[in-house]
Amino acid sequence: MGKSSKDKRDLYYRKAKEQGYRARSAFKLLQLNEQFHFLDDPNLKRVVDLCAAPGSWSQVLSRKLFSDSASTESDDRKIVAVDLQPMSPIPHVTSLQADITHPKTLARILKLFGNEKADFVCSDGAPDVTGLHDLDEYVQQQLIMSALQLTACVLKKGGIFVAKIFRGRDIDMLYSQVGYLFDRIVCAKPRSSRGTSLEAFIVCLGYNPPSSWTPKLDVNTSVDEFFQGCSLNRLCISDKLSHWDEEERNIAEFMACGSLDSFDSDATYHDLPASFSSNPSSLDPVQSPTNPPYKKALELKRSGKLARSV
Amino acid sequence: MKDVSHYGPALCVKFHNDYVLAGFGPFIHVYEYRSNTLINRCRVFHNNKVHGISISSEDKILAYGARSVSVVKLEDILKKESLVNLERINSDWITGGEFSFDKSQIYLLTCYNKVLICDLNCEVLSRKSLSGERSILYSGIIKVFGPEKVYVNAGTVMGGVIVWDLFSETKIHNLLGHEGSIFYVNLSDDGRFVASCSDDRSIRLWDLHTGKELSVGWSHTARIWNLKFFDNDTKLISVSEDCTCRIWNIIESPENTAELSISNVYEVHLIKSIWGVDVKEDDMIAVTSGNDGRLKLIDLLQLKRYGDEEMSFSLDYISRQCDIVFRKNESIKGFQGFSFGVIIVTSSGKILQFSDASKQWKLLLTDEKFVSYPIINGIQKQNIAVLSNSKSDILLVKFSRDGADVIGTKEFHVDELSKTNNCLPTEYNDHSFLLALQSPNPRDKFLCLEICLENLNIITKHCFDKPDNFSSSCLTSFQNYILVGARFSTVVIFNLLDDSEEPFTIRRLNPGDTTTSIQLVEDKDEFSVFSVTNRDGYYSFIELTKGHCEHSGSQLSYKVLHSNKMMKGFLEGAFFNSNGEYITYGFKSSLFYLYNETNCYELASEVCGGAHRLWKFNAIDDGHILMYIKASRFHLRKIYNPIVPETLENGIHGREIRDISVCPRTNANTNGTLENGHIFCTASEDTTIKLGCFNSKTGKVQNFWTLRKHVSGLQRCQFINERLLISASAREELFLWELNDKYDNRPYMTIRQTLPTSTDNPDLRIMDFDVKFLSQSGDFILATVYSDSTIKIWFYKEEENKFEMIMQGRYKTCCIFNVAFISLKDQLFVVISPTDGYLVVYNITEYVPFGVDVITGGLLDNKLESSVLDLPAPVSQAQVHQSGIKSLDYAVDPTRSSAVILTGGDDNGLGLSHLELDDTNAVLKISDFIASAASSTITSGMLINGGEEAITTSVDQVIRAWNITAGKLTLADKKRTTVADTGSLDIISNHDDTGFDKTLLTGGVGLSIWRK
Repeated sequence: MGKSSKDKRDLYYRKAKEQGYRARSAFKLLQLNEQFHFLDDPNLKRVVDLCAAPGSWSQVLSRKLFSDSASTESDDRKIVAVDLQPMSPIPHVTSLQADITHPKTLARILKLFGNEKADFVCSDGAPDVTGLHDLDEYVQQQLIMSALQLTACVLKKGGIFVAKIFRGRDIDMLYSQVGYLFDRIVCAKPRSSRGTSLEAFIVCLGYNPPSSWTPKLDVNTSVDEFFQGCSLNRLCISDKLSHWDEEERNIAEFMACGSLDSFDSDATYHDLPASFSSNPSSLDPVQSPTNPPYKKALELKRSGKLARSV
Repeated sequence: MKDVSHYGPALCVKFHNDYVLAGFGPFIHVYEYRSNTLINRCRVFHNNKVHGISISSEDKILAYGARSVSVVKLEDILKKESLVNLERINSDWITGGEFSFDKSQIYLLTCYNKVLICDLNCEVLSRKSLSGERSILYSGIIKVFGPEKVYVNAGTVMGGVIVWDLFSETKIHNLLGHEGSIFYVNLSDDGRFVASCSDDRSIRLWDLHTGKELSVGWSHTARIWNLKFFDNDTKLISVSEDCTCRIWNIIESPENTAELSISNVYEVHLIKSIWGVDVKEDDMIAVTSGNDGRLKLIDLLQLKRYGDEEMSFSLDYISRQCDIVFRKNESIKGFQGFSFGVIIVTSSGKILQFSDASKQWKLLLTDEKFVSYPIINGIQKQNIAVLSNSKSDILLVKFSRDGADVIGTKEFHVDELSKTNNCLPTEYNDHSFLLALQSPNPRDKFLCLEICLENLNIITKHCFDKPDNFSSSCLTSFQNYILVGARFSTVVIFNLLDDSEEPFTIRRLNPGDTTTSIQLVEDKDEFSVFSVTNRDGYYSFIELTKGHCEHSGSQLSYKVLHSNKMMKGFLEGAFFNSNGEYITYGFKSSLFYLYNETNCYELASEVCGGAHRLWKFNAIDDGHILMYIKASRFHLRKIYNPIVPETLENGIHGREIRDISVCPRTNANTNGTLENGHIFCTASEDTTIKLGCFNSKTGKVQNFWTLRKHVSGLQRCQFINERLLISASAREELFLWELNDKYDNRPYMTIRQTLPTSTDNPDLRIMDFDVKFLSQSGDFILATVYSDSTIKIWFYKEEENKFEMIMQGRYKTCCIFNVAFISLKDQLFVVISPTDGYLVVYNITEYVPFGVDVITGGLLDNKLESSVLDLPAPVSQAQVHQSGIKSLDYAVDPTRSSAVILTGGDDNGLGLSHLELDDTNAVLKISDFIASAASSTITSGMLINGGEEAITTSVDQVIRAWNITAGKLTLADKKRTTVADTGSLDIISNHDDTGFDKTLLTGGVGLSIWRK
């Protein structure tokens, strides 16, 4: 979130800057909570934020769980944020730079929780998109399934899982699969997420895995092998490639989140509403922009070194 | 519903003998590439897309994509419509696939870096993997060197390229150096090199034995998706998101190092992304496949297939060859190309000839007169060179057919002009040509000589009065007229039958300055059509009509049929090729380009140093020739006609199609390309509008123009009647276009008016518009809705060609997605759908200076004065959806007392509402709502058959047909489409013998055509 982002007219972007959030996506979690109130539960103790960098969801979790000054350090509330990328510190959040698919990561989280299970797991992670819609949707679903593997090992019965999804061709297959592990699946769209974007959030309420199934993370097993024995597994592993068959699909109930009075992320605002400080564009970005992999290519292009000479 | 044709991303492409095989969605297309024929289109998967093809020497084809795989026979692919019964499904994504050395097995690499070894019936024989590696792969290939030597090359998301041995399941290298995800890896056939590309936009060459990074290639300006070694592993070809295909030389040095050096760039696809590439090495032809659905053939020997494509000569060389001495500081002042070679003139009046056949120079003559500002041009078809100088001397030299002999010369002085600063020849008729001569002196006449082709004598001399500030730049003739292009974007037409007639002047044809070319395109008794280009990148097509005036005989009038702009750079000229495609040429910075404007790809380019040097581009028998001076050398670049077709598919937009609109009239033109044609427009995220034609007999789409007026991604386009189209996008851009389609070969479209804007906020988007015509009139009212919640009503008067705002208001602060005018009885309503899920109805009857025709619903002009009024308060509203309504369509019942409104939402819901007129006003009632009508956003919906049926498209890539009875929706049919991000729909009612009622055009990333 740089100083000269093209989103600077976006009110959520300005609001994030004002309120000290690292990204506008903080409001997505806040608006999901307006609908589901999962972060307002006084019994919420242990939460995990997966694919957490740059950390705006962890910031929301931190502010929600530790809002009352009465809560002391002796309280057993814990927030763990996991990402492969490093993340600058956030109060009350333990951040782990680790791979969510690795058993060691699971062990570290459980240790931090004193071997108690989590009440809430969320993931706002998304891979780089290539423009191949089927591949992008697949990779996103694999990311969710990886998050779900860790979640299966760490979440208490009745717990909640929230993850970013892209509503494309096969989203109903994901709803159907995840439906085997939870009591209720909702497709939630916060008003801070643009209506023109395919982004939405899968809110999985009431973790309820089959009683006969014991999830076990192993670096050498695939997602399918992991969920084998759980009815979620769409294909049984055999020495055959199966014939094509229309797979089970299920459309989750849709829920728009955030009140109709909240800012519309599709709208153009000419004047700032009165609630904003007079000169927010002078606010520094909370998190400095990341180094993209193509940084060197950009430098070469700027200095004219990529101009066509043949 | 049945699919008819599909245009969209081609993810992979392969040569096999005389065939090109390409994956289009779940289909494999096979083309015979030399003859440019589509042999067959065979469905290999139910839904998944074909991402990769591998072909065995035994004519077996391995197709894979997503989780699907199939092994099929070439003979079946060539004939059968479908082979989906052979499709097999894996539990993970299949990233790569290859046949074994003896072709009896296949290897499938999954995205978790595991390999399945299967027999040819896709039965799994064994599984191989590298222990402890679980990173997801974006890319990977399997390279078979021998029965026991098979290498897996896996491109991970974390910047590493893992090379491992399949049978020993051991890691050979983890090549580290790239940043970001690896998008492709390949190995050279000789097993020496690995090449990889990544998110960092570089290509890296590695030594397979040592694992050492040998070279990093920078050149691409976006992500690179595919690469391949060719020409005995001495070259690499790469394709990218930047829409270019690039060729790299691998330059080896003795110390076991090698370096990548960029050797060629081909700009051949539309934004964005080229996915597939293959090379036919024996012919040195490449094929690329892109997100735009194009299959482009590229001649990799375009610069050396015949050996004389690139030549350059110093004056020294010419002097030695001709055995003549050039003066100190003597330089080349002009040149003209002919099929037999080139004629040049030097600063000391030497006229030299270069013979293309012998590649020899010779001195033709020296004429001291041509020392002073010589100009050389020619009548190429007749082998006549025309020289002139500033002192108004003219020298004509006519050559024999083969150019070997001078068969006539003529020299004369033009006494009528005090000075000559331009001399332009053009063909005229079978026995003469024309020469137009211009003087810088404003008092001098503009001269046009008619000269006999046979004996080069002057037949007639025309002296015309010049318009003020006239500076000619190009010339053409038609019938008894000459058209002279000039500065200030002017075209002046002189009548050769009457020197005293006032010339007809067209001023400010384009926003640019110098007119660079005029070409006659179509010549009919009643009218003629010309193409006019302008150096600043604009081109237009104009129609000239001869009327008859009692006093002065013929009277010319003109009309602009088409106007457009090149992407960037200078436009120096244009012509139609033998396929009827518009070819343009000019300069982009230091590059000369030849461009196929109809289909949008570069044909050839030359780094010549830019537009400001001395240059000339001429047609020759077998192609074109570019001549220029660079670093005091004379350069000749021949661009031969291609030896293979330029494309096998031209494709469509490379980014999402946001709207489709079919012209509500079957084209009446019964000749050629437009026969059985339905003209339609597609509006895309890529900021362009394409004008194309759907042929209902063949089921094919042909594109004619790509209109580049918008600067932001399109939201909407809609034909508002049979000849007018409106398009809208961000930056408050809304344009009114006029379709001109009575002409041979192609329709034209030109901008007619632009809607006034209110701010310079680039984010302010016009989201939708609707139009209501005045009965029996070309006047209409236009409603526009904006992303800042504004609603505006405009009045357009055809005669004045002007938009005038008559009403303005605001809903709340949220964005409005759709708007519709609905007239019931004598009342006029505006219905909007904002992002809050509401339908909101305004009654504007009393606020517009029009009445409503109770029979037709059209407007009646009751001659009231109009002024800008405020939008009244809504009369009715209802929340139909939870969030944004993405599509809105309506149908009015025959009594005109109620309307049914179909809405599709971001909430996956499909709503049916009724707007009913009671005594006092209109009331909106929700009659049906299907909550999970699709598994994701419903992006478009249309009512058909008077509101008894509906068609919807949604992002879940399903087209659904609905029946509507008693205000309730029931699903009648659903079909999957391979078009991703499905977002637009239009419907043609069929009146032919196809046996179907309707033709559906659906757009997204690609265009699919269905019949119902």
